[in-house]
Parts: sequence; structure tokens; C-alpha cells
Amino acid sequence: MAAVLKVFEAIGRRTAKGFDEWGFGAALLAESVMWVFVGRYYRQPVRFSHTFAEMMRFGIAALPIAILLSATIGLMLAIQSLYSLGLFGAQNFAYIGIALSVTREFSPLIMGILIAGRSGSAIAARLATMTINQEVDALQVMGINPVRFLVAPMLIALVIMLPCLAMLANLVSIGAAALYVSASLDTSLGSYIYNTLQILKTDDVWHGIIKSSFFGLLIGLIGVMNGAGVSGGAEGVGRVTTRSVVQAITAIVVSDMVIGYLSTH
Amino acid sequence: MAVAAAEPETIWKPTVEELASRPIVIEVDHLDWSFGARQVLFNVSMKVHEGEIMVIMGGSGSGKTTLLRHLVGLMPPVANKVKLLGQDIGSLKALEKLELRRKIGVAFQFGALFSSMNVAENVKLPLRELAHLDEKTMDIMARLKLEVVNMSGFGHLMPAELSGGMVKRASIARAIVMDPKLLFLDEPSSGLDPVVSSALDDLILRLREAMGISVVVVTHDVESAFKIGDRITVLDRGHILACEPPDQIRVNSNERVQNLINRRSEHVEVDPEEYLRRLAGD
Repeated sequence: MAAVLKVFEAIGRRTAKGFDEWGFGAALLAESVMWVFVGRYYRQPVRFSHTFAEMMRFGIAALPIAILLSATIGLMLAIQSLYSLGLFGAQNFAYIGIALSVTREFSPLIMGILIAGRSGSAIAARLATMTINQEVDALQVMGINPVRFLVAPMLIALVIMLPCLAMLANLVSIGAAALYVSASLDTSLGSYIYNTLQILKTDDVWHGIIKSSFFGLLIGLIGVMNGAGVSGGAEGVGRVTTRSVVQAITAIVVSDMVIGYLSTH
Repeated sequence: MAVAAAEPETIWKPTVEELASRPIVIEVDHLDWSFGARQVLFNVSMKVHEGEIMVIMGGSGSGKTTLLRHLVGLMPPVANKVKLLGQDIGSLKALEKLELRRKIGVAFQFGALFSSMNVAENVKLPLRELAHLDEKTMDIMARLKLEVVNMSGFGHLMPAELSGGMVKRASIARAIVMDPKLLFLDEPSSGLDPVVSSALDDLILRLREAMGISVVVVTHDVESAFKIGDRITVLDRGHILACEPPDQIRVNSNERVQNLINRRSEHVEVDPEEYLRRLAGD
């Protein structure tokens, strides 16, 4: 009986902690939005220079790996599509699956996972180190709101840059797939692109953009929540960094499924 | 040719009577504080006058850092307990709190310099974020403050390239860049050798002399406390044991105060039989 009670107690504690963390995340988001709008009134605007620096860090610096991954995904999809559709002699329709799956699913998902691993971990580690070194306390006592100074620029940068990376990934993936398919089927590259543009609707592209914006928000909030909640020195920094990557990737995959279901029903 | 030994420079210190006649700038009124079931501050009350250097001294776990965090507003606000410059920080609105924070400077134990910025950028940060000055003016002000703390010429260095003493001085430069009325220093001499520590004490005294600010120093360095403090508050297990000028602290009759200032460990009576029984787990 005591063992069963302990299990329930553990579940209860974890649930309460989870609610607590998400409540903190919601408060961070609300406060960030507030600073964007009322920062000037408090004479503490969210600085464009900080946001721009974060955009460079999260987006532009990730371009090489983003292009490499997108091209690989495009080629992989082309290879698999030609193989599976070839079983029915329908290779000529490969562009449909590639175009829709890239824009609606793969680009936002792969870029989300990439940025969760690359920037989500960096956000958590940076904030955790700053918290341990009392840099966050220093900001507070100087009268500089840490959410306005640190969190809001990161969230804005992620919400803007992840869709940009997803758009780039669309182009690169579809381009790489087009090259492979047209070379394999001995058709023209132009006709592949034409067919792709015919099948894609604006809604499909918007679906990917909105989803990746949401993923950006999730990555930022999870990184900040973990970083700010650090305890236990250097070991704690490592722990929250790993935790934030795992949580962000899980949140992205689960919410991707939910959004996918809701948008198609 | 014989060289005359240089006379040690004396730094002006106001008398206790002189200080007592000045307005109160910090007031703590019967403050209690607990972390969960563990109470760390018991009925703490203290007053700091304008231009006074108040040293809060105590051993590890005495509650001095918790008290300092209350004073600088880093703990959850409690109404009518802590007043800075006549304002109750527990009942201030957000905008009023921001305004008040511009009037205080804090130097943390380990400096808390931003590792991504060089020393000059660290010093300029409060000016950049709060004072809205042009770059040239900020450069001049940062250079001036770095000069005050004997750090001129080191502005381009990153915090990781500084020695312990330089980190503390840079941190003080950042704390005073907005010309605060109150300066809080957390363990300024910890981890420093006696020479650097003594130089830092002189710097604190000179800052008070030059800027007329009130300073609260939290430390467990007895020598430093006696050198810089106009009054010393001795905190022990969350209780204030004494709050007196250094010469009175020296002759204070409280055993714990004497233990602290003479660095004596507490004498604990041990019953050998009881001790052996505990070891055996009975």
C-alpha cells in the first residue's frame, strides 16, 4: 500500500511541477509581449540591436547546416518517392508527395529540431550560466528587466527566423529533389518545377510558416524555463541544457502531430 | 642618500555623532524571513545614515546574504519592512521600483560581470539601458569610473582575462556608474590576498569620501570590517547580536561576538559516553 501511495505521490509531484513550469513559461511569454508593447512607456524598449544579434545567431549562423540538412532531406524524399511509386509505375507523380510533405511537414519539423538542438541548448546553457554567476540578479538590481533584456529578443528572433529557415528549406529541399528526379526520370527540370508550383497552394506554405513560428516560440520558452530554473552549479547547467533539448524536440514532434491532425480535419 | 618613508595616507572618516545627525537612508524594521520551515532572519532591525559605511558581519549561514538580498530587492517584497531612501520597497509599483533601483549600486561577491561584454561595455551597460546618453558621453563616463577604481586602460579586456581583484574593482565601477546614493558590496574582499584586499578597503573609503554615498558591506573579513566600518552589525544565526562602532564591538561582552572577531570556534561540551553511544548507534 505504501509503495502504491509513493507512486501516486511521485506522479502528483511531477504533475504539479509540470504545471508550475508551464505557468512560468506562460508568464514569461506574457511579460515578453508586454515589454514589446509597453517597453517605451517604461523607458526600457526591447532593443532592435539585441533582437538583430539574436537573429544572426539563431538564423544566419545556422544557414550552412540548414542548407545541408534540407538538401539531404530533399534528396532522401526523392529517392524514397521514386522507389515506392516505382512499384506502381507512378514515378512521374513523385513531385506531389515531395512538394506537399516538404512544405507542410519536413521543412518546419527538421528546422525546428535543428534549432532546438543548436539554439535551444545554447539559450538554456547561457541563461543557466548567467543565473549561477548572478548576472541575472545584477540586471535586476540595476533596474534592467531580465525578461525585456534577455528573453524578449530571443523569442522575437526565434519566431521570425525559424519560418525564414523553413522557407529556405522548402526551396533547397524541393530544388535538390527536382535535380534528382529530373535526372533519374530524364525529364526537364523546368517541368518538375512547373508541376510543383501547380500542386502547391498558398495555404500549404502558410501552414509550414505558422507551424515553424510556433516551434520557434516553444524552443525559446523551453530554453528559458530550463535555464532560469537551474540549480547546482556546472552540473546543473549540463542537466538543464540536455533537458531543454529533449523537451523542445518532444514538444515540437507532439505539437506537429496535433497541428497536422487539426489542420486536416 | 636616505629616502624618507612615505607617510601612510589617512582617509577621512566621519564621527558616529556626526553620522547620527544625518538622515536615515536605509531602514529595516523587525524583518523575519524563512526558507520553508527554516527561519533565517529573526526580528532584524537596522538603520543606516546618509554617508555611513555599515558593515554586516557574520559567519557562514548567519543570514547576512539573505539580509543583503532583502535590502537590494532581490527577495519577494514584504510590506513595511525595508525602506530605502524613505521608500518602502515592499509596496512600490513596478515603475517606482525601477526608478529607485537607479539610485542604488550593487557589486556582487563574484563580480557578476557579463562574460560576453568587455569591461568597458559592462560599465556602460546601465548607462546604455537606463540613461539614454550618446556613445561619446557613455565612453567618457565609463572611463572616469574605471579611473576611480584604478582600472583605466583595462576597459578592452574581457572578464575572463581579469584577476580576482580587478573583477571586484570593475564590478564596483559598474555599480557606481549611475552615481548611486546607496552602494551595496557583497563580500568585496573574499578570495583576495591581504594587499589587494586592503587596497579595496581604501577604495571603498575613498568612494564614500568622494561621492558621499552610503555603503553597506557584507563581509566575514574582520580586519576589513574594522578598517572601513563606521558601525558594524554582527549577525549570528539570523539574530543581530550587536550594531555598534568598531571600538565598541571590540569590547562587546557577548561571547559570540568575541568568538567571531577573534576567530575562535565555539566551545562545545562533549560527553564521552554519550558520544560513544551515538557512534555505536544506540
